[in-house]
Amino acid sequence: MKNEKSHEKIMAYSLVAPALILILVIAIWPVLQSFYFSLFDLKLNSPTKSETHLSYSIDLERYLDNYPFLVGAIDNEIKKNHAPDQLGKAKDQLEKLDAKIQKDPKIKKNYDLVNDKLLNFESIDPSIALLKIDKDLANEIGHVSKEVKAEVKSAAKEKKLDQEKKIVGLASGMQDVVVKPNFIGLKHYISDLSSKRVWRALGNTMTFTVLSVGIELVLGLSIALLINKAFVGRGLVRAAILIPWAIPTAVSAKMWQFLYDGQNGIVSKMFEKLGLVDSMTHLLTTDTGAMFSVIFADVWKTTPYMALLLLAGLQTIPGSLYEAASIDGASKFKQFLTVTLPLLKSSLLVALLFRTLDAFRVFDLIYVLTGGGPANSTETISILGYKMMFSQTNFGNGSAISVIVFICVAIISIIYIKFLGRDLLNDGTGR
Amino acid sequence: MNKKAGLLFYVFLFLFIFVVMFPFLWILLASIKPATELFGDKAFTPFSDHPTFKNYVSVFVNYPFLRYMWNSFIVSVITTLYTVFVASFAAYAIARLNFKGKSFILGLVLSVTMFPQIATISPIYIFMKDLGLTNSYLGLIIPYTTITLPLSIWILVTFFRKIPFDLEEAAKMDGATLLQTYWKVIFPLAGPGIFTTAILVFIAAWNEFLFALTINTDEHYKTVPVGIAMFQGQYTIPWGEISAATIVITVPLVLFVLLFQRRIVSGLTSGSVKE
Repeated sequence: MKNEKSHEKIMAYSLVAPALILILVIAIWPVLQSFYFSLFDLKLNSPTKSETHLSYSIDLERYLDNYPFLVGAIDNEIKKNHAPDQLGKAKDQLEKLDAKIQKDPKIKKNYDLVNDKLLNFESIDPSIALLKIDKDLANEIGHVSKEVKAEVKSAAKEKKLDQEKKIVGLASGMQDVVVKPNFIGLKHYISDLSSKRVWRALGNTMTFTVLSVGIELVLGLSIALLINKAFVGRGLVRAAILIPWAIPTAVSAKMWQFLYDGQNGIVSKMFEKLGLVDSMTHLLTTDTGAMFSVIFADVWKTTPYMALLLLAGLQTIPGSLYEAASIDGASKFKQFLTVTLPLLKSSLLVALLFRTLDAFRVFDLIYVLTGGGPANSTETISILGYKMMFSQTNFGNGSAISVIVFICVAIISIIYIKFLGRDLLNDGTGR
Repeated sequence: MNKKAGLLFYVFLFLFIFVVMFPFLWILLASIKPATELFGDKAFTPFSDHPTFKNYVSVFVNYPFLRYMWNSFIVSVITTLYTVFVASFAAYAIARLNFKGKSFILGLVLSVTMFPQIATISPIYIFMKDLGLTNSYLGLIIPYTTITLPLSIWILVTFFRKIPFDLEEAAKMDGATLLQTYWKVIFPLAGPGIFTTAILVFIAAWNEFLFALTINTDEHYKTVPVGIAMFQGQYTIPWGEISAATIVITVPLVLFVLLFQRRIVSGLTSGSVKE
């Protein structure tokens, strides 16, 4: 019997394993990675910042593309007797530095490898060319390059050099040989939390979430209460309710963009006729108009869905409870307060939790409908994160913003789960 | 409670359905208007004087719309098949077997459904780029697991729990192994639940926007939501074509929803309603 039990356990673990591994690799690891990225000055379009570097390294490809030509060119000038003292000193420094770099056997090996490849015009893999070095050597490389550049410049001032431009260019190039660590710790968070734009985006997200979820809850609950009775055409109503939910949000956002259009949009025309807006064009071009439009479109899309979830909850409440309540003389309103609401609590909270999180993460609806505009008035935190990462290619800061979104979502979930208690995770296996 | 519906109720119901359906009806009417009637005074007359199918033709001729639909279809179908397959094993173990850490795993799965997509996009994008999987079907199928796998485990667990335990016991008595019990007893009974999950996963994958927008930027690999959102004319926004495209993808979805509404509703509510 004991054997059978442990066998069952092993089977259970092996059945869960593939899904768990996938979830770890595809969802949990990326979130941790996002946090890691957020600690770096990571910019995809900048060659030295496109990866995370914790320590100093030397780019041998750049170095060997620079050093021999720089020394050769300086040598030529010295031979022509152009400022031999100063240039000789520079050359000396460079050669000493080179000897020092080559002293490390590990660097030396790749040094020769990269050199050969450069001479043969072969492409060089960054994994060979980029080598870790200690801070002292990095500092020395930086120091020497700076001095050489200064000496070459002052030499050029005193005596005209034949290849002045080339030598100065090569000398400045030496300064980019060291790849500095781009670890910056919590700097992104500090700058984000003191940035007006981030707070505004958080504010917009909160406004959107609170208003749209609030309206959806009230409307959804009243619709659910009203259609919680026997009537002809229930199936049809259910299908109609599901349609806005099933259409891709991006597509419905495009649809609303047409309906809200300042010149030809029927909905904006109606709102103008109803006196909701002063002019049709105000809908998508003013702050409040755009926020209103976005919330209205979201309410249209998800109220029916909310009603559906609440309706399902309502249907699990036994009718006998209402009969008992009405025999006791409770009014309709009293029945709602004492019977419906308490029994609906858990489905209400679950529906609210998922809707709140969905609204807080909102991206496609707003991205397509307003693009976050006008003047960032509908820019939510997710949209800001996306823009940071993919329009400004600032992956480090974009990741920091996305971690902020993650933390907010976690806080919201914790608050709801406190209310829900163990209901949500209750594993009622019936055993 | 008053269970009989009165006239006022039907008036309300009609209004509700009208409000819900109005945008689609308007888009449907706009899709058969010639360009001249989409703008100006005529923009607000519902019925066109010269209905035309030009917009529909243009969507397929001037835009790679068929391509978008094909991409969406391939990505959604493969995602659905493989996630439901993986999820059904995990859900079976969670719902029916005894082992330690069950609530923890279920809690983990639930918390992953709450992850904001934006928090996973940057590493996933870099990962796909490094593997050379941007602009490929696999580049979307892999990240879609984030959304669909926890969702399907969560829904399937509820369905699996509803199957009577006696059947399993009986099979065990007859000497069936665990996998035999799963394939011969549980799987056929869970069939409807698995099918329901598959529908929801398919819709989730079909509708996904953020990953599709960032990972597959090439025209050749765009999916329908991104394709329609990025519809651009040379000088103006091609509302006629956008309307037609919307209708083309909405009509199959409407039919789909009509056909499977019961299943979709049971799937949607299974996680949230406690009986």
